[in-house]
Amino acid sequence: MKARNVRRWSWVHTWTSLISTLFLLLLCLTGLPLVFHHEIDELLGYAPQPEAHASAARATTQQVADAALAADPGRVLQYISWDKDEPGIVTAFTNKAVDGLPDNTTVRAFDAVSARLLGPVGVGPMLIVLKLHTDMFAGQAGKLFLGAMGLLFAVAIISGVVLYWPFTRRLRFATIRDHASRRVRWLDWHNLIGVVTVAWTLVVGLTGVVNTWAELMLNQWKATELASMVAPYAGKPPPSHLASLDDVVARARGAAPGMEIAFIAFPGTPFTSSHHFAAFMRGDTALTTRLLKPVLLDGETAEVADSRALPVYLQALLISQPLHFGDYGGMPLKLIWAALDLLTIIVIGSGLYLWLARRRKRAAVRADTFARRAPVPS
Amino acid sequence: MHGSSDRSYLWIRVFAAPILLGAATITGLLAALLWGTAGQYVAWVTVGAPVLVIASAWVRCRTKKTGQLSPIRRGK
Repeated sequence: MKARNVRRWSWVHTWTSLISTLFLLLLCLTGLPLVFHHEIDELLGYAPQPEAHASAARATTQQVADAALAADPGRVLQYISWDKDEPGIVTAFTNKAVDGLPDNTTVRAFDAVSARLLGPVGVGPMLIVLKLHTDMFAGQAGKLFLGAMGLLFAVAIISGVVLYWPFTRRLRFATIRDHASRRVRWLDWHNLIGVVTVAWTLVVGLTGVVNTWAELMLNQWKATELASMVAPYAGKPPPSHLASLDDVVARARGAAPGMEIAFIAFPGTPFTSSHHFAAFMRGDTALTTRLLKPVLLDGETAEVADSRALPVYLQALLISQPLHFGDYGGMPLKLIWAALDLLTIIVIGSGLYLWLARRRKRAAVRADTFARRAPVPS
Repeated sequence: MHGSSDRSYLWIRVFAAPILLGAATITGLLAALLWGTAGQYVAWVTVGAPVLVIASAWVRCRTKKTGQLSPIRRGK
């Protein structure tokens, strides 16, 4: 590689890294506890625990919905969800209105057998960490900004790989020059950690960027696919009364055999039309539990209106989530995720140190040159 | 011609290990998603491989340093 090209790539690497450094440190530092958010919530007592039951007969969905509305008088239900990893718990989302702001949503866990209230979900210190990580308390603008920082990070990673060649071609792989200056030692560590973690950082970084576009993708789906699914019902008012949720569940299962319900969106919420329930169904394999299939049901009669697979961009979003969170391979994968996160922090920190050290060195050289050129007083 | 093959050899020497580690990481990330429990075991080894490489480089550096200090201590 010619010296001029090295300088160009070096400029790209330096500035894409520097601009995103502060935000990437924030993302890495907040991402670290989020890897273990479930364990931390349990430890701090913020994770509702299901009751022990002799009988396995589960409460009906309507019973859970009634319990959720009784626990939150004057509010309306937005969603009811079932977590495949927490079969003893059903989660209900209530808000001031069906299209209320996400920040006004109350999430409560109910026992899947007795339908008794177990406690709030998503509260406590981890909620603050999560908000800092996803949007820095700045809503959609914050999300998109962090997404842009993620893209800069990807450019920094790719330019770093290009620069790996001129900086290490005379060295054996994984060489750390112990006898050299501190700056050279840290350069070797920066290059080594950066290059061996490059695939993981690119995957986690880019899936994080995709996640920041979730709302835009959902809006696109609503404007195109969902709009065409509900077109035959255009002009129908919101339901005057809601169908029984037990009917909704039974008919949704009938429309998607072999699948289970992940969550039900109530009419008027962002995931459906003003007249329909949407039951989002999931499969039972490692991959298909991530890929949801919506079934639209009439809000008053629970009749199945339509069912289509999600478009590719929403499927990509759903698959990108586990690849970003690292929560799909048990505790060992979480520990590896945390170790790789710590290594990324070291790469970012050492990059900043190398930039500062090079600036100091250049300043010293300039001062020395200036001193040599200055006339010596006689 | 000779220079070109030297350059290819050098390129492979520099990038072979990072490419293998990158491929292993991607394989592991997808394995846990596609192959259930068996895939999880694959992921632990392959996604963990970069961490092991860094750990071994760190241990090698520490061992070298300790090795260098030992004769001085013995001399004292």
